[in-house]
Parts: sequence; C-alpha cells; structure tokens
Amino acid sequence: MKQRTKSKELWIFIILVVLSVLISARSNVFLRPDNLIDLLKNNAVLGIMALGMTLVIITGGIDLSVGAAVAVLTVLIGKFMVTFGGNLLLTFLVAVAGGVIIGIINGTLIARANIPAIVVTLGSMSIINGLMLYYTNGSWINDLPAWFIDFGKITLFKFHDAGGNVVGIPIQIIIFLIMALLTWALLKYTLMGRAVYAVGGNPVSAKRVGINIERTLIFVYAYMGFLAGVAAVTHTSIMRQVDPNAFLGFELQVVAAVVVGGASLAGGNGSIIGTVLGVLFMAVLNNGLILTHIPTFWQKIIVGLIIILAVSFDVIQRKRMEKSLPRVDVEY
Amino acid sequence: MSQMPFLQMRNINKTFPGVRALDAVRLEILPGEVHALVGENGAGKSTLIKILAGVEQPDPGAEILIDGKPANIRQPIDANQQGIAVIYQDFSLFPNLTVAENISFGKEIGLGKRFVNWFEIKETATNALAELGVELDLNLQLERLPVAKQQLVAIARALAFNARFIIMDEPTSSLSRGEVESLFKIIGTLKEKGIAILFVSHRLQELFTIAERFTVLRDGKYIGTYLKDELNEEKLISLMVGRRIEFIKQSRSKTGPVLLEVKSLTKKGNFKDISFTLHKGEILGLTGLVGAGRTEVVQALFGLNVPDSGEIYLDGVKVNIRSPEEAMGLGIGYIPEGRQREGLVLRQSVAQNISLALLKKIRGKFGLLNAGKEKELVEEYMEALDVRPRLPNMLAMQLSGGNQQKVVLAKWLATRPKILIIDEPTNGIDVGAKAEIHKLLRQLASQGMGILMISSELPEILAVSDRVLVMRRGRLVGEFAIEEATQEKIMNRAFMGMPGRVTA
Repeated sequence: MKQRTKSKELWIFIILVVLSVLISARSNVFLRPDNLIDLLKNNAVLGIMALGMTLVIITGGIDLSVGAAVAVLTVLIGKFMVTFGGNLLLTFLVAVAGGVIIGIINGTLIARANIPAIVVTLGSMSIINGLMLYYTNGSWINDLPAWFIDFGKITLFKFHDAGGNVVGIPIQIIIFLIMALLTWALLKYTLMGRAVYAVGGNPVSAKRVGINIERTLIFVYAYMGFLAGVAAVTHTSIMRQVDPNAFLGFELQVVAAVVVGGASLAGGNGSIIGTVLGVLFMAVLNNGLILTHIPTFWQKIIVGLIIILAVSFDVIQRKRMEKSLPRVDVEY
Repeated sequence: MSQMPFLQMRNINKTFPGVRALDAVRLEILPGEVHALVGENGAGKSTLIKILAGVEQPDPGAEILIDGKPANIRQPIDANQQGIAVIYQDFSLFPNLTVAENISFGKEIGLGKRFVNWFEIKETATNALAELGVELDLNLQLERLPVAKQQLVAIARALAFNARFIIMDEPTSSLSRGEVESLFKIIGTLKEKGIAILFVSHRLQELFTIAERFTVLRDGKYIGTYLKDELNEEKLISLMVGRRIEFIKQSRSKTGPVLLEVKSLTKKGNFKDISFTLHKGEILGLTGLVGAGRTEVVQALFGLNVPDSGEIYLDGVKVNIRSPEEAMGLGIGYIPEGRQREGLVLRQSVAQNISLALLKKIRGKFGLLNAGKEKELVEEYMEALDVRPRLPNMLAMQLSGGNQQKVVLAKWLATRPKILIIDEPTNGIDVGAKAEIHKLLRQLASQGMGILMISSELPEILAVSDRVLVMRRGRLVGEFAIEEATQEKIMNRAFMGMPGRVTA
C-alpha cells in the first residue's frame, strides 16, 4: 500500500503544481514570496491539526472534536495569560496539557468502552462547545501580554525579495515544520508509530502479534490533543486575541486536508508527506480563488468533490480486489 | 519416547455458554515432529489452537507444560515468548506494511522496544528468510505478494522470534500443488532445526505425506493420538466420524417430476462443473466441508453470485437468475445461514416479522395495511408452523432459536416458493427443536415443494434428505440415494473426493 500511497502523493503533488501554474497565470501576486509566506502562515494551524488527524485516521478513527478542542484551548490560554501573566513555556504547557486531557478522555472512551470514534468525538465536540459558551458567553479575549504579541511577530531566516523588501519566515511556519518533522519521525522511527499503522491495517493481527490496541488508540487521540494545544498557541499568536467561535466547523477542513492527502478513512494508510501536500492544496486553492476573484464558496465545493472522488476511487479499488479473490479453493 | 516433549497439554476443557467446545482434550508435541490435528468441522481444532495461541483461556484445571515446566499462556505475547507461533489461515499479517516489517514486528514487540531501528528490522528479516532459504524483496508492500509468498512471510515471522513450535492452520488451502511441495520442503528445513509443527488440515493425503503422528478430535473430545503407521485414510475418517446420536428418520414422500435442473454451473474461484436435479417434493441434501463451495452454489441459484457459465432450467425452461428479486419472482426462496443476522428483525414483534413478507397481500385501500387481514394471516402461519408461545406481539429476540427459525420459515412460506433453499437450518438449535424443524421440512416437501438443504451435520442430512450431494473443493464429488448413504461414505467423499480421481 505504500506504493499506492506514494502514487497518491505523486498525484496530489501533480495536481498542486498544475493548480499553482493555473493560478500564477492569472495572478502575478501568487508566486511572490510574501504571498506564499502568508499563505503558509495562515494555514499553519490547519497543518498542525492535520498532522494529528493523520494518525487518528490511519488507525481507522476520526476526531470531530478537534475544532471545539482547539477553540477551548485558545480560551484557556487567553484567560491564563490575562489573569496570571505567565510566560511562553507555561502557556504552551497549559495548552498542551489541556489538549492531552481532552484526547485521553476521547481515546479512553473509544478504546476501552468500544464506542465508535465518530460518536464519542461528536459528543465531546458538543459538550466542549456548550461549556465554552457557558464560560465565555461568546465574548472575545483581548489585552494579551506584550511578550506574547512579540512572540507572534518573530520571523527567522530573513532575506531580501526581488523588490528589496526584507522577508522572513514567521515563527508559526517554523512551529508547523517542527511538528511535521516530529510526527513524521514518530510514525517512522518509534514502535508506537508502527503500531498505529498495524492497528489500522489489521487490528486482529495487531492483537495477535502482541500490540496493546487500547494504549495505541489512547495515545493517538492524546497526541491529537497535544497538537490541538500547539495549534491553539499558534493560532492565538497570529490573531493576538481570542475568538471562541473561530473554529466552528474547522474539524471538517482538517479531515478534508488529510483525506485529500491520500489517507484512507478505512484506516491503514496515510502519510505525513501526503498530509502536508493536502494542507498545501487546501491553502493554495483558497488563496488562488481569492487572488483570481472567484467566490470562496467554490473552495468548499471543489474540496468536497475531491474528497468524494478520492474516497470512491479507494472504495472501488478495494471492492474490485475483493471480488477477484477466490472464495473457494476449486480443484481443477 | 525418551525425548522430553516440547509441549504437553492435559485436561483441556473449554465451555462457551451452552456449548462444550473442548472436553478433556490432550495434546503432546515432541521437538522436531510434524503432528497432524484432525477432526470434522466443529470438532474443536480451532478452539484448541486459540488456547495455544493465548487468544482463549481454557477452563480451570487445565495443565499445560512446556519443556516439562508448567506454562501460563494468558495472552498472545506469552505464547510468542514461550516459543509458540501460530500461522493462521489468513496469516494475520499487515497488508499495509513491508515484508521486512511484517517479519520483524513480532520480535520487536516481544523485546519491548520503543524505537524502530530500520537496519535491525531488515537484518532480522534477511536472517529469517535466509534460514528458510527464500528470497523476497524486503521493501515490498505485503499485499503485493501472492498468497504463497505471504505464507512464507508468516513462517519467517515465526522464525524471527525463535519459535520452537509452529502451528499451521490449513496451510495448504490456498496453495497450488507446486506451492504445497515447496511448503513441505520448508517444513523439512524447520524439522531439521528441531522446530515442531502442528499441521491442521482437511486434506488427508497431504497429512499422510508430511505428518508423523496424528491427534484426532471429535465433537470436542480427545479420541486418540496415533502413529502414521497405525492409520490409513479410511481408518482416520472412521475415527473422526465415530458413532453419534442419529435423528429420527423422517418418513419420505414420493418425489415428483424434475423442478430444477442445473447444468455445468461454473464460476471461477467458487465452483466448477456443478450439475444436478431437484424434484418436486424432494429434499436434496448438500453437504461437504465448510469452504467446499456449497453456499457459493446455492447463492448462484438465488442470484447472489452470478456464475460465469452453465445453465439453470426451471420446469424445463431455461432461466437467467441475476438478482434475488428475479429468483423470488421465479418462485425460489433462500434462507441463509445465521437466521438472526439475515432473516429476522430481532427488535420487532413476531407478527411484524411474518407480515414483512406478506405486505403485498395485506395492502388495502390507499396503500394502507389491512390490520385485520394481517392478524388473520399471521395467526394462520404461527399455527401452521407451531411457533411457541403463540404470542404475535412478542419480540422476535425473545423466542428460542428453534422458534426463531420457524418464524423465518413462516416468512418465506408466505411467499409460496416452489423451491426453498435453506442453509444450515438447525445450526445452534437444541436437539428437540431440530427434530421439529426436520418434520416441518418434510411436511413442506410432501406438499410439493422442492427443498435444497445445506448441512454440515451428517445425522441431519441422513435424517431428512431423499438424496445427498457431496461437494469438495468447488466440485460435486458424490451423489447418494438415501438408502445407500452412510456417514462414512459421505465423509470419504468430502475428504478425499471421487474414488479413482487424482487429487492434490
């Protein structure tokens, strides 16, 4: 399946290149470094979340509570910073700890109580949203400390673009890249990462070979929560304020990016490279539509079509394979 | 036998709710021997394997010794650490991982590692394959390998964690003859290393080629362990079949003209060259081992499994059956195995279940249901089939297995089929209810219905059928009139095929 996944990744890469060529033919802004950097910065949060969702989807699960989780975590760190001041490390710790707790609760219900992931996370999404509304009344949090605002403005690797302007890579993109690298290494170089693939590929075999399925699933949802925490800090550092409603419906974009990136909702395959490409695709599509003055609702329609196409391609291929398998060992 | 056995199992019992799957079973495995485990469908072989693999726990009182020392196998990883490896029929591999990972995974987990060392993974895999004398591309995705090669990966995985005892469950069932020969060579290699093999197979000829000792199970009981020289195929079959309680022979009615004729029905990977007739008023028993292709054939008659070639005649007229709707339109009814899953809406009442099939008949004005008519018809069928208790409003899930099966029958009878196909009609039903279902089937036949009954239970086949067809590996290998049919004759065909035919 790696070969198949790789060819899927190649396809999404080709589509991405074609899309970029089309957009740059109609807009001379698109390929400008500042536009590309902005595009990446604005999608760093989507990207960070999609990394976690990749693991969840590889195990054959789904996490619909991520939008609500990241929203409540932004509120949490917003209140934390406004109330206690704190520092960057503590803020990260609070966000990440909150996310991991949400993830452990989701994962435990899914793995131990054997409730379908879609049910558990739909429920926790609703609960989190309700609690958050009760707590914030929908009001925004402003007046974040100056040190945090400064953190959000950090840029690294500065260079001069063609026009002589100084451009740098924002910290948010760096965070996304570090998380992508970390998640990639986790999947490739830890036994937990391989167990994620094994559980998604064949849970019965995974159990027979001695993998602790419960622990693997709980880890995966907890890791998703960890990344939701990182995403909450990243998002707040871009926005410099907290809007409790900023993430309504965001979970679907996250799932979409992962699926467009070639992961199968049936579990067993998916890759970090594919997901990064999927996120880039969503980002470029959105940016391109804005630059070419096409209404952005087209983004939703196009992404929807691509998901359905990608998934049906998967299902049809699987069915065809099953049909061609002999059911009886006929003697000839 | 002065050699210390690798494994001794004594007094292995396993009870599932209502079923005694294993009853004081024992097994002894010597280092480097090839041991055959044989028995009919449901004799308890799979349960015994699961206990060895740590998937199931035996009832208290069981004794398991490895190298003469008491062993505890609580979970699969324990079995692996004790040197026991199971190669399941489906191999239990990971289709989405590489060959190298599939081979090394068990070992890595057994060692409790946290990080993956890809160099080590490849080294482990290379060594295991070298021990087998096999070459495979380590980086290839497993699902891209043919079945026989996947099996080698499973064997290599067992070697990778130093297994001393490998259980192979139906290892040859999906292999060609050439592949079976190379598997036997591999088994020879394993033997030389002192690794014991438990070979579970329905193919007796293969067993006599490869195995040195045989342990026979029947109905969950230990029958005995025999040296190869003490046995031949006939004797082995009679040990497996034994003598069992027979059901009351149902009185037969006279059968009428040919209702259904099937000519050389063939579907690749399902069945080949199937020809038979079914008469009006006849019960035709179709038996054979599980996986012989029985269900695939009857599904072809019901439009669920369209054949590649061959002809079906109904009342002498050639018909093409491409969907269950067409089959039902032609007057064919099909009650699949597993009545709860496919035949009943368990959370609805008995009346609702029966009237589901009657909807056309009880539809009144404006498409509304005629409640009075519904009640009348439901009561009529409940009485005719003697569904007990006679409470139409009871939920289907509250009925006993036998009465559930009657409700399923009622549903189908309401459509007045000319031909009824029924798969394992009394599976999981107690003995008394079995006899009632048998009687009902005979009654239906005497009213002129043609019944094609699949059953793995030979006493049932003998008690109910007028004629018996036997399938083996996708082919019809025997037809017996009821007067000449015996359990031994049927099992001989089911296990060994037609006399005089060369079989793999």
